[in-house]
Amino acid sequence: MSESRVVLELRGITKQFPGVLANDHIDFDLRHGEVHALLGENGAGKSTLMSILYGLYSQDEGEILINGERVEIDTPKEAIERGIGMVHQHFMLIPVMTVAENIVLASEPSKAGIVLDYASARARVSELAQSFNFAIDPDARIENISVGQQQRVEILKALYRKADILILDEPTAVLTPQEAEELFGILRSLQRDGMSIIFISHKLNEVLQIADRITVLRRGRKIETLPAEGATEEGLARLMVGREVLLRVDKTPAKPAEPLLQVDDLRVLDDREIETVRGVSLDVHAGEIVGIAGVDGNGQTELVEALTGLRPVLDGRFSVDGRDLTHAGTHHILDAGVGHIPEDRQLRGLVLEFTLAENVALHDFDRRPYSRFGWLRLGRIVERARRILHEFDVRGGGPDTLAKSLSGGNQQKVVVAREVANDPRVLIAAQPTRGLDVGAIEFVHRRLVEERDSGRAVLLVSLELDEILSLSDRILVMYEGEVVGEYGPDVTEEELGVAMLGGTREKEAAA
Amino acid sequence: MSTSATAIEPGGRGLARAISPRAVAWAGGALGILAFWLTLPPVTARSPLVPLVVGSLGIAAGIWSWRGGVPARVWRTVVAMGVLGILLGWLATRSNVDSLDQVFVWSALIAATLRAATPLTFAALGGIISERSGVVNIGLEGMLLMGAFFGFLGADKLGAWQWGIVCGVLAGACLAAVHAFVSIHLRADQIVSGFACNFLALGVTGYFFIEVYTDQGTPGNVSNIPSLSIPGLRDVDFVGAAVGNLHILIWTGFAAVLLMHVFLFRTTIGLRVRSVGEHPKAADTVGISVYGVRYAAVIVSGALAGMGGVYLSNGITHSFNENLSAGRGFIALAAVIIGRWRPVGAFLACLLFGFTEALALRLPGAYGEDAAWTTLFRTLPYVATLVIVAGVVGRSVPPAADGKPYVKQ
Repeated sequence: MSESRVVLELRGITKQFPGVLANDHIDFDLRHGEVHALLGENGAGKSTLMSILYGLYSQDEGEILINGERVEIDTPKEAIERGIGMVHQHFMLIPVMTVAENIVLASEPSKAGIVLDYASARARVSELAQSFNFAIDPDARIENISVGQQQRVEILKALYRKADILILDEPTAVLTPQEAEELFGILRSLQRDGMSIIFISHKLNEVLQIADRITVLRRGRKIETLPAEGATEEGLARLMVGREVLLRVDKTPAKPAEPLLQVDDLRVLDDREIETVRGVSLDVHAGEIVGIAGVDGNGQTELVEALTGLRPVLDGRFSVDGRDLTHAGTHHILDAGVGHIPEDRQLRGLVLEFTLAENVALHDFDRRPYSRFGWLRLGRIVERARRILHEFDVRGGGPDTLAKSLSGGNQQKVVVAREVANDPRVLIAAQPTRGLDVGAIEFVHRRLVEERDSGRAVLLVSLELDEILSLSDRILVMYEGEVVGEYGPDVTEEELGVAMLGGTREKEAAA
Repeated sequence: MSTSATAIEPGGRGLARAISPRAVAWAGGALGILAFWLTLPPVTARSPLVPLVVGSLGIAAGIWSWRGGVPARVWRTVVAMGVLGILLGWLATRSNVDSLDQVFVWSALIAATLRAATPLTFAALGGIISERSGVVNIGLEGMLLMGAFFGFLGADKLGAWQWGIVCGVLAGACLAAVHAFVSIHLRADQIVSGFACNFLALGVTGYFFIEVYTDQGTPGNVSNIPSLSIPGLRDVDFVGAAVGNLHILIWTGFAAVLLMHVFLFRTTIGLRVRSVGEHPKAADTVGISVYGVRYAAVIVSGALAGMGGVYLSNGITHSFNENLSAGRGFIALAAVIIGRWRPVGAFLACLLFGFTEALALRLPGAYGEDAAWTTLFRTLPYVATLVIVAGVVGRSVPPAADGKPYVKQ
């Protein structure tokens, strides 16, 4: 493999965004038929580099060579013409259109020049899918197929356009472990057919699993390119972060005490008025972390929204420390001692246009000592914020900084700081490390374990199995709005993966 | 899982399972219309019991279809039609027969409906193509007005109705180009930009109207849109009076509806337009020019609205007055929404609005010539808009990127 010819070379690519040097003279090369992983934390410049290659950005400096020939790529159209295909992290698919329509879009087979020849489009898509052993219905609408299948449609889009260089941007972020395995199978078979693949990721284990070579980026710079053979997770983490990182969470076995959060047969409707939480019962005890695993969209979001009063409860009840809060509303729920780290910090965690001090005071600005007779006491609000921001090591700004100007990791620290500083009895953390890099993840994880040890009940909802496995003392799996399994902390990823796809429930039904 | 299978089973038993709930819903809707129709000429039932019984049957069918599991908007529509049928039917039975005979000359009413619906149809088609590409076009009203004035001016000064069409269409397209530039290029708020276009059109047409016509008003001898008299059809009873002698722009409107449908859903370009309105970034990453598609769609939108305006002045009123469009662009916008951004659906909505307008024109003759009543009757299309948009249609889902400026990185 190592003697294959170089199909793509990036030389000294530099891209400056206002205030950030996103790419700083990056060199990168891709050989024929290899999987070359691009590894780095968020903001390391991986996506920027690939966006330049795909014609979405233009570089300030540097050149792109394809098969040894210097090329200019200013638009995605030119990238496609040069045989480059890209599977974006957020799929570029139109939910209301069919698989076939999405695949042929902009290179449609036609009759008389303009009439869409849909029959021929679906025939070509079927043929293409079959030749790569994809089971996919060309007439299915994108919104009705699974995320894993959507990703295959994205890959087919590239294949339909005759790509021989395929870029995958964080392709496993949205997949279950089983789906990720299937994806790796597909990539290997593509590789055998001579496809050269760039695989962007920040997950160490999968990079080691799939890649032939690994290039590590850090803060816009290329750190090293090394063969995957012989590399270790610890070594890669050190290259990524620039210091030693604790990959495993250190924690003692839980000492659960009395139940604090009790949920009984909870039923909740989603925005489309479909019952997405269908009779969930669970207890979270003081001093334990209960993790809820599941594929995105199986009712976790609605469950958390119901428990925090953001979504009305259809049926069933829940209580905190024995107090029924089923219809209490958000304000009372928070007052009753619930802390909430929402899954979207920019939407629900923070008011981006407010300062950090204002954000920290969001729950209690209307109470003494932070206000009196309807007047805010800014001095106290700022002083408290300063103390908390210091304690939680929030970098990049003080109490007067606008929340939007912080990095994602520091924004999340502010949210965690506010929720924890309120001294809640129950802490509900929904995807608390989404989009954070290794260093920030380490911080949040350590903090959650500390909160557990100080006697809080922690309910953790996450799509990341690693996170669930390394933090939880008990693990519940949600599938189609129901809890389909409960496991101890030593369950394997595979077992969880099966349950997440409804495997256990089918078995039950069969029995 | 066996429990979920039974849970999904519709609540009704026996008959409800034998007959499709949708068919019941359709029948219910038809009964609602029938309740009103029976009280009108030629049947002219005089007992209020007739609409009450028939309408109640319609309502019952609506409730039954709800139990059978049809979507909320369907059964709600059916029930509303039943209630409306009873109400209007009751009103008709209170009225005297002569007035009813005078108003409900069906053939004339159909012809008037088609006339009134045509400007709306063109504007609605414009709204559809613009919004399908992701640009909200509140400016339809202004583009309609531009078409109306410059269509009239062109026909008047250049001496032929064909020139009127050319001028009106161009005027509508020009205003749309302004909207396109502001909302696509400058990424301004599309609602604000569209609204500004409406006021711009009021100002421009008002200015030129005063400049050109203020002394002696609009002339009466302007070349008007000709009618298409269909031999064979025009002599047939009823049908002849209804559609045997319609303006060619009405027929053009029908054709435009079909063409727009074929264009959007059967051509490659249509697919690209829709992709830009749903997910511009996806379109961009396969090499479609988002800005190009949006510019084209908005300008075509203005041209279509302009065409509607031309018909309004040269085909219906045969004159021009300040603010001649009188909110028709907004009604067209409502038709777009009620029709769920589909040409045929919007056309049906336009027919409904056209019917209320036609009715509003004929009612004063029978029920009160005085200006107060006439003015009140004129609000009928707008009241119908409100009732339908708010009460019956409920939420309808626009193209996903409708109204959102696209920022290319």
